[in-house]
Amino acid sequence: MAETLVVAVSGINAVDNPGPGLGVIRSLKEDPELEVRAIGLAYDAMEPGIFLDWLVDRSFIMPYPSSAEEDYLARLAYVQQVTGLQVVVPTLDAELPIFIKGEKQLEAQGIKTFLPTWEQFELRSKQRLLELAPRLGLSLPPTEAVSSYQDLIKALDRLGFPAMIKGLFYKAYRVHTFAEAEGAFQKIVKEWGYPVLVQKVVHGEEVNVVGVGDGQGGSLGLMAIKKLWITSLGKIWTGVTIKNQDLIQATERFLEEIGWRGAFELECIATDDRIYLIEINPRFPAWIYFATGAGINLPARLVRAALDLPVEKDAEYEAGRLYIRYTYDLVTSMDTFQRIVTKGET
Amino acid sequence: MNRLSRLAINEEGFIFDPITGNSFTTNQVGLWILERLKKGKKEEEILAEMLEYFEVDPETAERDLTDFIEQLRNYKLI
Repeated sequence: MAETLVVAVSGINAVDNPGPGLGVIRSLKEDPELEVRAIGLAYDAMEPGIFLDWLVDRSFIMPYPSSAEEDYLARLAYVQQVTGLQVVVPTLDAELPIFIKGEKQLEAQGIKTFLPTWEQFELRSKQRLLELAPRLGLSLPPTEAVSSYQDLIKALDRLGFPAMIKGLFYKAYRVHTFAEAEGAFQKIVKEWGYPVLVQKVVHGEEVNVVGVGDGQGGSLGLMAIKKLWITSLGKIWTGVTIKNQDLIQATERFLEEIGWRGAFELECIATDDRIYLIEINPRFPAWIYFATGAGINLPARLVRAALDLPVEKDAEYEAGRLYIRYTYDLVTSMDTFQRIVTKGET
Repeated sequence: MNRLSRLAINEEGFIFDPITGNSFTTNQVGLWILERLKKGKKEEEILAEMLEYFEVDPETAERDLTDFIEQLRNYKLI
């Protein structure tokens, strides 16, 4: 029997804007050679993953990643002390800076990660995508960086409506009027500062690639999908695997050019003659279990890479595999809730 | 017509394009025409076969074939 491997995963909030954590944990538990004990890192006592004991073995409430780095890392050290934690898979955007900066310290403590470098993390800023997209053979929707309300209005005059108003790293609002645009601009400035990006909306098929980069220009597996049905929050609820060679080649060029290490998701829009790059996410998407179900267990590959274990690298999957997300109801006692509220752990 | 060769088509008339992820449905006549287009047959040849295979007058057959091929073009399947 394999030795138990203790892996902590965040993003166990399977709500209307689901986190990737439960898909990651489910994937890890389905690897026939890994005996994974899953630790859920939560930010709220009502995150559903805390209560799904067939997936998450123990859960801990974490300080917000925006709090002091030392408090966050100290909490992880405590989790390690009581669980024997060996690997962490952070899945939320806001956590990545703390994990990337703290990588060496965590490694020294015996906690492994498999993350992009700080330089790679910054490369996916939406402003940097302007220079990156052509190098990958991808197009970028017309985009302008603005730092004042006057510039915002001028940019919208040029680009027209509907438009996307985006923060440099996070948040994007689709706007149809100047009033909506002003509201979105102010929200982004307040939260993320300047510059704000104004982007023309391009119409086409929403296609994505999920994968893991090996950090040396290669891939530990990748898979392309088309979103068939999305919610009003833009979250995929139904999708299908596709084999679009242009998209796969662009992803391989991205890995070669950047030497990306760790999980990533490329969000694109495909039209008849072009593929537009919309975003590069430095983490697994919430639909990550789709790849596992289609035969490429990317979370297990990432954990194996973090531990320097042998990793399969093939990207063989069948086009036409369908992904259906559904909701589920759980009725349970107050025991777990009481424990997590009073002790911060289960 | 080589776009057609990539399509996965089942006998009930469900068509899946593995590059775009789009799917379509067609009836048995559409399926019959698609089979011939996939084999590289020209419109005139298919029309001639239609007149032999189905009980249909030439005008209706030609109109239906042209309409169907136009739809395939609209969906960028050919």
